[in-house]
Amino acid sequence: MSDQVRVAVLSGFGINCESETMAVFEMAGASADRVHVNRLVNGEMSLDDYHIMAVPGGFSFGDHLGSGRLMGNRLRFGLREQVRRFVQASKPVIGICNGFQVLVKMGLLPGDNEVSLTQTASLALNDSGHYENRWATLEFDQRSPCIWTKGLTRMRVPVRHGEGKFVTADRALLDDWAESGQLVVRYVDPTTDYPSASDEVLPYPISPNQSWRNIAGVCDPSGLVFGLMPHPEANHSTWLGATWTRDVEQGEHGEGEGMVIFRNAVEYARANL
Amino acid sequence: MGTDTPVFTYEVTTRDLAGLPDARGDSVKGMLASNYGVEVGSVRVILGYQVKADLTAEEAQRAVYDLFADPVIEQGSVSGRLLDDAEIFSSRPQIVVQAGFKPGVTDNAGQAGLDGLLTIFPHIAGQAAVATSKTYAFWDVPGGVTSDWLASKLHNPMIERAAIAKRADCQAGNWPTLDFPSQPALDQQTPAVIDLEVSDERLLEISETGLLALNLNEMRAIQAHYRDPVVREQRKALGLPEGAPTDAELECLAQTWSEHCCHKIFASKIHHVDTVTGEDSTIDSLFKTHIMKPTLDIQNEVDWLLSIFHDNSGVIAWNDEWSLCMKAETHNSPSALDPFGGAMTGIVGVNRDILGTGLGARPIANTDVFCFGPPDYSGKIPEGLFHPSRVFRGVHAGVRAGGNESGIPTVNGAIIFDDRYLGKPLVYCGTVGLMPRRLPDGRESHEKTPTPGDVVYMVGGRVGSDGIHGATFSSLELTEESPSSAVQIGDPITQKKMLDMILEARDAGLIQVITDNGAGGLSSSVGEMAELTGGADLDLAVVPLKQAGLSPWEILVSESQERMTVGVRPADCAAFEALAALHEVEATAVGTFTDSGAFVVRMSENVVAHLPIEFLHDGCPQLQLESEWTPPEHEPIEFPESGAEDMGALLERLMARPNVASKEWWVRSYDHEVIAQSVIKPFCGVNHDAPGDAAVIAPIQGQTQGAVISNGIVPRYSDIDAYAMTAASIDEALRNAVCVGVDLDLIAGLDNFCWPDPVESAKTPDGRYKLAQLVRANRALDEVCRAYNLPCISGKDSMKNDATLHGEKISIPPTILFSLIGNHSDVRKAVSSDFKTVGDRIYLCGETHQELGASELAYLLRDESGGESGIGGQVPEIEPERNLAMYRALTAAMGEGLVASAHDCSDGGLAAAVAECCFGADSGASIDLSGVMTDCGDIDSWGALFGESLGRILVSVEPQHCEAFEAAMSGHACHALGSVEAGDQISISNGDEAVLTASMAQLRAAWKGTLDGGGPQ
Repeated sequence: MSDQVRVAVLSGFGINCESETMAVFEMAGASADRVHVNRLVNGEMSLDDYHIMAVPGGFSFGDHLGSGRLMGNRLRFGLREQVRRFVQASKPVIGICNGFQVLVKMGLLPGDNEVSLTQTASLALNDSGHYENRWATLEFDQRSPCIWTKGLTRMRVPVRHGEGKFVTADRALLDDWAESGQLVVRYVDPTTDYPSASDEVLPYPISPNQSWRNIAGVCDPSGLVFGLMPHPEANHSTWLGATWTRDVEQGEHGEGEGMVIFRNAVEYARANL
Repeated sequence: MGTDTPVFTYEVTTRDLAGLPDARGDSVKGMLASNYGVEVGSVRVILGYQVKADLTAEEAQRAVYDLFADPVIEQGSVSGRLLDDAEIFSSRPQIVVQAGFKPGVTDNAGQAGLDGLLTIFPHIAGQAAVATSKTYAFWDVPGGVTSDWLASKLHNPMIERAAIAKRADCQAGNWPTLDFPSQPALDQQTPAVIDLEVSDERLLEISETGLLALNLNEMRAIQAHYRDPVVREQRKALGLPEGAPTDAELECLAQTWSEHCCHKIFASKIHHVDTVTGEDSTIDSLFKTHIMKPTLDIQNEVDWLLSIFHDNSGVIAWNDEWSLCMKAETHNSPSALDPFGGAMTGIVGVNRDILGTGLGARPIANTDVFCFGPPDYSGKIPEGLFHPSRVFRGVHAGVRAGGNESGIPTVNGAIIFDDRYLGKPLVYCGTVGLMPRRLPDGRESHEKTPTPGDVVYMVGGRVGSDGIHGATFSSLELTEESPSSAVQIGDPITQKKMLDMILEARDAGLIQVITDNGAGGLSSSVGEMAELTGGADLDLAVVPLKQAGLSPWEILVSESQERMTVGVRPADCAAFEALAALHEVEATAVGTFTDSGAFVVRMSENVVAHLPIEFLHDGCPQLQLESEWTPPEHEPIEFPESGAEDMGALLERLMARPNVASKEWWVRSYDHEVIAQSVIKPFCGVNHDAPGDAAVIAPIQGQTQGAVISNGIVPRYSDIDAYAMTAASIDEALRNAVCVGVDLDLIAGLDNFCWPDPVESAKTPDGRYKLAQLVRANRALDEVCRAYNLPCISGKDSMKNDATLHGEKISIPPTILFSLIGNHSDVRKAVSSDFKTVGDRIYLCGETHQELGASELAYLLRDESGGESGIGGQVPEIEPERNLAMYRALTAAMGEGLVASAHDCSDGGLAAAVAECCFGADSGASIDLSGVMTDCGDIDSWGALFGESLGRILVSVEPQHCEAFEAAMSGHACHALGSVEAGDQISISNGDEAVLTASMAQLRAAWKGTLDGGGPQ
């Protein structure tokens, strides 16, 4: 058990969301450091000193050659053993938006028990063909082993991406991942009752990118590595909601819906690491 | 890298999987349908990467799926054409177009590809280059659509090349192939000496042929400088030509004295005549008289104006810990020539103004305001110009890429349409910055602290032939000869790395002085900062180049992007360079700040320019200009006979006008929420699609103090009076801020003027009138800002927004963008524009007058009548004291939690505002105008419904708060209008008489339909 949970929030090369990602971990009771990827490569800092790793959103390398691709390669080739050691030590990892794209492209998600870093899925261009910022409603699979999403049913969060359509070359894999609870979080029609996540692709803009099976995020078989396209860190306080001026009463302001995810991981790390 | 280095060509396309469209191809298909009404059967896009590097065959093969193609969703090949692969393309396309950049044009994807290649193959560092292309393949092309036409819509010949396979080529499998865009080294020219001992005609010729944009007086002032015996003596000692400038000196003076850099028109002495009042007066500098003076007077009264006028942006104290700064720029001329690159350069450029403020501020929010020709324009487009819809799409994409990739949210903006922006679009890009009041080492971050001896670093991108003469070019009108070198493409990745590095260096105390390399390049950045220490010594020979062989003057004035100039103490240089290396940012020591009194530029040992600081910055002679105001005459508006349903139909048409219509499709593709600070967003309401007013952000995570950002822009009123246009713009910005509950004791403004050339000449015979418009605009700015206690902390002017193409001159309407930044004491009390609950009472705060002159309604009636109906009439008059008193009462009521919604009444008047508030609640409304009709004697229902009187805000209040609200607003015009109703009906009456009925859903469909950019929405 660790007194102070330390979070490495990666930065550099067009990662943009490190400030708010650090902030939400701090709000959840951890201490967070901004860690430039090159400081891990040159040995000035080490992932071994941290309990949680976060790959924040942004536009690493301008999304050229496919979002997350070049940053994924920097990690896959430049930090391969450090990253594998971190995951094999059962330490939580989260990738948000561009960070999720990085984890998928480097093969850490949906991943495998061996942490082989083999890419099996991808995030394609939204069917709309362009970037969009809009709010979506997510539904979580409570059967999932994901430690980040314990107790969550639904959440309202912004999506902000152009390449968020989760696909795979082998559709049979989707059944395997569904079975193992790795399809943790999906876009859902907010007017329906929980649970109602469906495999049928929901209409735009309920599913903003036309992701297969409405997948918004997945975890690895262990449930420790988690990634999602939407931005829970952008809903850390009630006054950041899309319709808070309609649905939050004066005097009822406080923590936003997205904070549960970060609290879960910090509590997990405190209890287990 | 030798000339015999092999080139490997990689191709990548979307894999054929059920449920995975080629979204790039579909976007092109959608663009052709939306912009041109051309429906092609299908489009596929193939991304190409030409890699020039010594790779083994095995390495080359490995890079296909390790780098260029995604192994799951894409198919890739190296040195084979995918179009020949029948498994991917079962039938041959009819037309294929390949587009790629011209040599020397920034290729961001190519740079990223190179970076990725070096991650895998570090051994080829310094020996490799990557260029990208896109290949568009078309099936089922309608007859009459030629390959040349398609190619013209898919590339901009100013910066790109295209290769085409026509129908026969496609049959034969001859696919288009661009060669690798190699840029041969230039022959470096030794500095030339420009003989100025010539006739006046020849002086002007030197200025014109050299694109110097200097007038005769200015050329004579330079001539006189080189005749000065003291100067000659000094130059002799330095080994410089005694009586004549070098090319580098003349270029440096032209940049520094350009209208763009030194605002000569705003500094001029103006003889102003008003033919109505008989006024005959002289104004010695509009800037000093009407902008600087009021702000300095306000500065005497408040303690929060930290830094104004002298830095890259104005700085205000936001609280004890943090300060805010803001700057807005225009990037009009480049955006006309290359909408994407021009606009992207605009946004990343203004971000650097923030990074270059004080010791460096963090950009935290962008604002984008565009003025274009009508998207549905069907008239003739002068050769050399793009159709407004293409300009719109390109500018939007450039700003989207620049802002999103930099991680800076676009929080507020506007898009305005008018025929006269056909010649020059206006692209206003604004940025807000945040910085700690004090750095860890105790220095105040808004003050630069240079000392002689500090080392000058150039940080970020390299210098190329792109962007030479940008500053002087933007000080000239646009013609068919406008140079392509003035166009650039921004590189957000280089800039983001630099931004991360600079802010880390700032906090480590390594920066003494910093500024942006924008207009005028090093000549301006080093030249301006040299003024702080009294001199600088710059060595051009060590400046890293992306184009070999540039001549000294070109290196000096090139505006290649993504560069900052930083002054570092010698003791800090090692730490500064180490930080740059960590971030993979190039930082090169290129000189030293001195106190020698001169800006000295060398090429190694050879001095190529020696300019006394005083002459450089104060030597430009003042312009003397003539101004004469005679109000224009307009035909009156002819109002049609209209019943309540006709009025509803008219409102529907008004809501669909591009100036009023929803911009949601476009705005949604800007990231407005990165940094997790967005409290009041661009859209609100139950369906997230009703228009917001000002933006509210809470930039310190978890804290509830906020900042308000808003904009006002109403160029229409210039057609009657630029005074009214300016007053309306300022009031609109403030009104929007009031709608969200701004703290009126801490507000600051930015004035951003875009004018047609107001200097009388053969080319501009109406220069006196245009200058009089400028005088009146400045007087409005002065009077209204003083009354609102709203200091202008930063501003900018762009004074040559004319285009002459093939003898046809198009001048923009005089346009001011007024931007506002203010404090919000507690964002939890911010108010949004959407009606909240059925049964809430609706009020109109502020007085309504019969003010329909140059209103959106007037233009609608003019357009629908084919010009029979005029736009004449009373333009909105401003009463700032009355407005401010009401704004104070209203924001106080908001602080008490009494206000459920508040929305600005502007384009389209009260009727449009009611409709927009209903959109946010999926509701109807019932409104009675009787109270409004008592505001003045001559008002009719046209004026009440569609008039655009200033100082008005439409508010809704929960029934239980009405009594307290009415008490809070007592003493101010505040009319109870009616209530929010269930259902779809918007009913507006005057007492018992119905004056307008409409279906909310139909109004909303009209409002959302006009500017839907295509795709699945």
